[in-house]
Amino acid sequence: MTIDIDDYRDVWVFVEQHEGDAAPVSWELLSKGRELADETGESLIALVMGDGVSHLAEEAVARGADHALLADDPVFEPYRADPYGEQFRALVEERKPSIVLIGGTHTGRDFAGRVAVPAHAGLTADCTELAVDDEGLLLASRPTFGGDAMATIKCPSHRPQMATVRAGVFDASEATKDDVDAAAAVEEVNVVVTEEDTLSTVIERVVSDVVDITDADVVVAGGAGAEGDFEPIVELAEALGGEVAASRAAVDEGWVEPARQVGQTGKTVRPHLYIAAGISGAVQHLEGMNDSDYVVAVNTDPNAAIFEHADYGIVGDLHEVLPALTAMIREKQEVAV
Amino acid sequence: MNDGWNIVVCVKQVPDADDVTIDPDTGTLNRSDAPAVLNRPDHNAVESALALREAVGGTVTAITMGPPPAKAVLQTAVGAGADGGVLLTDRAFGGSDTWPTSLALARAAEELDADVVICGEESTDSSTGQVPPGIAAHNGWSQLTYVESLEPRPDEDVLVGKRDVEGGYERVAAKLPVVVAMEFGANRPRPAGLHRKIFAETEFEPVEWTASDLCIEDRVGLANSPTKVGGMDTASPVERERVRVDDVDDLYEHIMEVL
Repeated sequence: MTIDIDDYRDVWVFVEQHEGDAAPVSWELLSKGRELADETGESLIALVMGDGVSHLAEEAVARGADHALLADDPVFEPYRADPYGEQFRALVEERKPSIVLIGGTHTGRDFAGRVAVPAHAGLTADCTELAVDDEGLLLASRPTFGGDAMATIKCPSHRPQMATVRAGVFDASEATKDDVDAAAAVEEVNVVVTEEDTLSTVIERVVSDVVDITDADVVVAGGAGAEGDFEPIVELAEALGGEVAASRAAVDEGWVEPARQVGQTGKTVRPHLYIAAGISGAVQHLEGMNDSDYVVAVNTDPNAAIFEHADYGIVGDLHEVLPALTAMIREKQEVAV
Repeated sequence: MNDGWNIVVCVKQVPDADDVTIDPDTGTLNRSDAPAVLNRPDHNAVESALALREAVGGTVTAITMGPPPAKAVLQTAVGAGADGGVLLTDRAFGGSDTWPTSLALARAAEELDADVVICGEESTDSSTGQVPPGIAAHNGWSQLTYVESLEPRPDEDVLVGKRDVEGGYERVAAKLPVVVAMEFGANRPRPAGLHRKIFAETEFEPVEWTASDLCIEDRVGLANSPTKVGGMDTASPVERERVRVDDVDDLYEHIMEVL
């Protein structure tokens, strides 16, 4: 089962899209992929799959890809694991990329294994750092257990070196090239899957007002200390123009939807201001908010770990502190208007 | 197909997340300090398997891969109501990453003639979430990940899963056999019945399979794992001001300064 790793070259980035809209992580991976390709002296190739999505292939080139591969067919909309996996696998086996980056979204993590398993590729999940070593080997780093440690995963003798990468950890690439160049650098590939081959059918898809806490500048998060009443957290987030988030404790209790969970089993956020209200500061939670510029903690327990990881802290009940804070902010806003 | 489904639930023994410590000298995890427990998301998988059996009939078989003490998590599943358990145990499995691990589970599921394989969303120790799609990929089966709830349609040989997707949900009908990854916290696992629990701990003995029983002895273990751990670093803590304020006015001032 040994392969000649020298047969494999280039950095591929999967451009995740739904109904023609690119997931933000796609452009974040493209900018990181550009860096890696420049370091190894290889090409950066974007892979776009969907129905009527040539505009995204062109946008990927405008944002820095050397080429884009476009698999355009109705079988790819809406997303399903088996046609995506099968098409991607066929392209990987035919064209032999060295590095493949996929967003660590539900979609990316759903189908990455369907490429890696038949290709016997190394797949590292949910990475937060990527680099290449002197020999051009991908160093994919990810937080392990509780986030206190970073494990670096290598894939010395299998190809491609695949990684799913967490949203929000890299800055998105910007469009720099003009559209004329872009269209010429898009190659439409042969679609190898048909509707008859698929194993699943999407019966219903309900997606609205996508909550993306990973992009927010201000996040107000509540935890167990909210005791079932998230109103003060929602009010403060509104007053600050930020997003509501929560610790796992609050999500497990059903006070807040899972899409707003911050932490190891939730999302990574890196806002300018993170307000942690009624959150004790378990390491699993800290892992998801450690990249925030400023952290404010509100907790009744003066010994709560969160105070050690906050810039400003106040010992108090969030049901008293937050409404008072919200009132002051609103007052100032009224004066300003 | 009305005589029920062969439901396989994959469970994993992990160190209790709350008790894992970091060795300050080496930066590695002291996993051995922590008591071993059933991976928390797998409780949701077991509950789903039992609820599915109630809905369509059939059997629930728990499987795990690990050293002999991993039998304990099969006992937990049997105590909760699983009909039986299979322990995949063999030195040949040692050092397996997600590729050979999902291969072993896939072959075992095939051996058990599974209609549905249910897993937890991910394990709390390695948290890759790659094993359920890996099982499906090895066997060429359909898959449903991030599942909030299941709706069986036995007359059509189909399992419908409501999946959590970014910003909403989707309902996907998957052909059998299918591999399901239940979202962590998707249901409320039932408590183990006392009699069943006593049976699990005193009388139940798992079926044991080795790598050669599954004819994969030369495809598992460290040597067949594409990924290698290249190093472990202690994450550098972010330096914070750690200023305590006494009243909300001060807090307000600080927030206005940084905004």
